[in-house]
Amino acid sequence: MAVLQQLIFALVLGATYGLIAVGLTMVYGILKILHVAHAGIYALGAYIALSVLQHLTPNFWGALAIAMLTTGLAGVLIYRGVYYYTLRRSRIVPLIVSIGIFTAMNELFRLVAGPYQHSFPAKPGLPTLITPYFVITSKQLLILILTAAFLIALYLILNRTKVGLAWQACSQDLEMAGAMGVNVDWAVALNFFLGSALAGAAGVLMALYRNMVYPTMGHVVAYKAFVVVVLGGFGSVRGCILAGLLLGVVETFLGSLEWFEFPRDAIAFLVLILVLMFRPKGLFGRL
Amino acid sequence: MWCKLGLALLVILALGTFGIAEGNIKIGLFVPLTGFAAADGHSALVGAQIAVDLINAAGGINGRMVELVYYDDAARADQASAIARKLIEQDQVVIGISGSYSTPTRAAAAIFQQAGVPMISAYAIHPSIIETGHLIFRVGMGAPVEGIAGGHLAVEKLGAHRIAILSMDNDFGVSLSEYFKQTVLGLGAEIVFEKRYSLGESEFREVLSSIRGANPDLIWATAYYAGAANIVSQARELGITATILGQEGYDSPKFIELAGEAAEGVIIVTDLNRDSERPVVQQFLAEFQARAGIPADMVGASAFDAVKVAAYALAQVGTDPEDIAAAINGIRHMDDVVTGPFYAFLGREAIRPVEVQIVQGGAFHFFHTYTDPTIIIPPGL
Repeated sequence: MAVLQQLIFALVLGATYGLIAVGLTMVYGILKILHVAHAGIYALGAYIALSVLQHLTPNFWGALAIAMLTTGLAGVLIYRGVYYYTLRRSRIVPLIVSIGIFTAMNELFRLVAGPYQHSFPAKPGLPTLITPYFVITSKQLLILILTAAFLIALYLILNRTKVGLAWQACSQDLEMAGAMGVNVDWAVALNFFLGSALAGAAGVLMALYRNMVYPTMGHVVAYKAFVVVVLGGFGSVRGCILAGLLLGVVETFLGSLEWFEFPRDAIAFLVLILVLMFRPKGLFGRL
Repeated sequence: MWCKLGLALLVILALGTFGIAEGNIKIGLFVPLTGFAAADGHSALVGAQIAVDLINAAGGINGRMVELVYYDDAARADQASAIARKLIEQDQVVIGISGSYSTPTRAAAAIFQQAGVPMISAYAIHPSIIETGHLIFRVGMGAPVEGIAGGHLAVEKLGAHRIAILSMDNDFGVSLSEYFKQTVLGLGAEIVFEKRYSLGESEFREVLSSIRGANPDLIWATAYYAGAANIVSQARELGITATILGQEGYDSPKFIELAGEAAEGVIIVTDLNRDSERPVVQQFLAEFQARAGIPADMVGASAFDAVKVAAYALAQVGTDPEDIAAAINGIRHMDDVVTGPFYAFLGREAIRPVEVQIVQGGAFHFFHTYTDPTIIIPPGL
């Protein structure tokens, strides 16, 4: 029973890791830049949903939709307003710019909404599943269902639509894709929109799960999502989701052991070092 | 040209000297206003400002107004030491106050001690802070006292036999748990589970599942309020009904807001009694709420008290560092503080009753007070 219950915790945790990292891996796949500000987008999603809940509507779904739309647009803004002008420079330039944006976003959240943690006043309206073997609370159920829905939708977009095809072309060779008639600018902007909207959704779901929104909530996410991206094999969406789930399972299993006192957030890096030593293209990478 | 510059310089110098001779009494404060500790830093700043404003409204210190000079240390040791130098050399403060965490406070304390300027730590509780030297003081309650009081409370008052310990893996969390553990073992209780977690952790479900398996009747979990809210709400979500015993890290209205229903019945060992009828407490609680927009927490109260202690010493003996140190050491029965009354300063630490509060109806309330000297005086004094 205990094992099944732990598996539920692991799935929920892993699902959120995957959801955050998938946008990052999409950006990396096409532009080959490390988009650190993605973690700021994650926190932005939580703040937008919070202010919608406080000022507009107590409806969770409305808040989620507005947060995803806003974070999607914010992602496009970051691309078109900033990254766009750095793409022809050394890769270190967009990286540093990205760190700058992330830091600025953190401080902006603090200045606008204050340094304190806010509680997240939403009820998802789903039942709590109680079985003899495990319990899934309504929030956990919501995270699992929504993540699955988002990822299935993403899979369909990637594989069944023209946009998906354009992204695949762009990720293979940006200039060649452009030469072959792909509107690269639009393809990349849409890519940012979708990836950022998913990160925003992840932020809303975590705010709900932990009942907490605060300026630095993206900090751990900022580096852990990179680990997931690397483990998943830079730019592979499927690998990224598998890596997120795997990380969730490893963290949860080790965390449940009484004698294991290594910090949770260090586990990801330990795994990262091992993988880079023995399988530098990532666990699920094709490269 | 050079002549004019020289003249300007002279004027500036003259103004500077004038300012020092006749101006305000400067108290220096370093607080984390940005970064992960910004919330605590903000509370500490508000607490300190309330104290300064109250002192000035009552006519200042022997007729001179108090000026609070503060800088943001982002809870970082390197910034805190740079700020300590700035406060001492540039602002020429007569006393420093730490409204920050243990690591930056240790760094700054060394510089204050070296420069011969007294410093008071508000709520940073690492033992080595006051071991820095004879000019470094602390108003917050030390970890040994809090842990020992928690141990007596758990076994003698709450009747716990099977205890689980979950410790935050930093100076604060570990030293609290060490003294707690020694005390409960000495009183005959059994430790059925023990584990550390790292600072910043927010997912406790897996470790709480293991704790549920060990079937404790009481859980001692050290945490700051955000982590505490996670621990408490996730424990109740898993159906754990054991009493949860916390410490001053829980002591924030934010804990109750974030944990919601799950906070009910949680008991904490702290130094702030919100039900106290002493006027200074009620005045502070109201003023803090008005200025910060949230109810007062332990951090703000401790910073308030640090300024009060500094002002008391300055009023007694003036600005000589050695005299200030002697005046603080000589404090007996100081009632004009929020986390008090302070019975005395022993070993440069405030000795005061240990308060036990319980969450009921969405607020902290009185549960018990320890005044027994064997509990409230740190071991070894």
